[in-house]
Amino acid sequence: MSSLAILAGIFEGFRITALVTALGLLYAIPFALLFGIFQHFSKGPLRALVTSVIEFWRSSPVIVLLYAFYYSLPAFGIYLSAIAVGSMVLGLNIGGYGSQSVRAALQALDRGQSEAGLALGLSRFNVLRFIELPQAITAMIPTFINQAIQLIKGTALVSLITLTDMTFRAKEIAQLEYNPVGVYSGLLLAYFIVCYPVTIFGRRVEFAFGKSRQKINEF
Amino acid sequence: MSFDLSFAIRIIPQVLEGLGNTILVTVLASFGAALLGFTWEILRRSAKPMRYLMRFVIDFIRSTPVLVQLYFMFFVLPYYGILLPAMFVGIFGLSFYYSGYLAEVFKAGIDAIPRGQYEAAQSLGLSSFDTIVFVITPQMLRNIAAPMGSYFVSILKATPYLAVIAVPEMLGSAFDVASETYRYAEPMLVAGILFLILALTVAQLVQRLEKRLMLSTRR
Repeated sequence: MSSLAILAGIFEGFRITALVTALGLLYAIPFALLFGIFQHFSKGPLRALVTSVIEFWRSSPVIVLLYAFYYSLPAFGIYLSAIAVGSMVLGLNIGGYGSQSVRAALQALDRGQSEAGLALGLSRFNVLRFIELPQAITAMIPTFINQAIQLIKGTALVSLITLTDMTFRAKEIAQLEYNPVGVYSGLLLAYFIVCYPVTIFGRRVEFAFGKSRQKINEF
Repeated sequence: MSFDLSFAIRIIPQVLEGLGNTILVTVLASFGAALLGFTWEILRRSAKPMRYLMRFVIDFIRSTPVLVQLYFMFFVLPYYGILLPAMFVGIFGLSFYYSGYLAEVFKAGIDAIPRGQYEAAQSLGLSSFDTIVFVITPQMLRNIAAPMGSYFVSILKATPYLAVIAVPEMLGSAFDVASETYRYAEPMLVAGILFLILALTVAQLVQRLEKRLMLSTRR
């Protein structure tokens, strides 16, 4: 098998890698926004509850979470497909990290912003919606892109719960013929091809936002 | 098969047998990652061809999954007749992956040091080696204690990856229990809870250490 044939074989698993990434984002983004906002605004026991949910998803090793959910849910009578478990666990893990950037971005905003909104007679919810969130989300987009890259890389783990993603395909090819150098270099290259453009895009965005923010300060 | 709580409690000591290795790998890989990452960053700050090479190396490390890097080292090295214990490959693999992230942390830490420090060192006649070791590094370490600490916690959370290359750490011992008893739900859940407790404890310790460091630097 030529190197190109190996790479083509690995990319047969790209569909699953992309699908798990996309489904994972569907879990990660709402979780990050909701729990980041809740953690920022809640107090007392409610805050402790929100924090413990976030810490559960953020502080457990993702590979252990994946195995624990994949093997334990059926014991409690919950039967989910590997793809559902994989994207939920990977997504909520990244969402846990994301919630911290949402909270940090909200905390970093100048107090004057929300005070001005309230003084204009906007409700607290509208202040959040029209004044705080737009600024916070702009500030956290570079971090968010980095976390999306973490998610793409994390999908390699679903090969361990029998999904035929790029890593699983590579292992299959490695079993067919004894060429570990070709197969695993090809696999590294495949992930690099997928992730590197996102890295570059993230850097561009960061640079552009840095510039626009400087302009605002000058103004 | 339903969940058996008494079985879950009974196997806790067996799963904990891997704890020693988990801690050992975390400590050694943290040292390795810091050392490698610092080397990358110093090389990235040297003359042109090296700078571009290191920029690429760091991006490559960060754009590929740690699981795939571990597979690469585990399967490719023996092909060239390099037979190393799995434990060594695992520690080196984690060091290598996180060195890419720590290089970025060191970059931020060094960037934060005022230019006057370099100029002062130069006018005092210090060699560039002495400048790095006695002027830059101590100030940098203080700047980056927080992010570096959180990457050490990340390394702890990445140690279960070594179970896939047959290093006997905590997830590995959970799998041993599972394959002896044909019950997966309980060992995986026990491993999950133990890892969560361990990660939260270490994160607390790191946070306390940071606070102390901050106090000692405030005048």
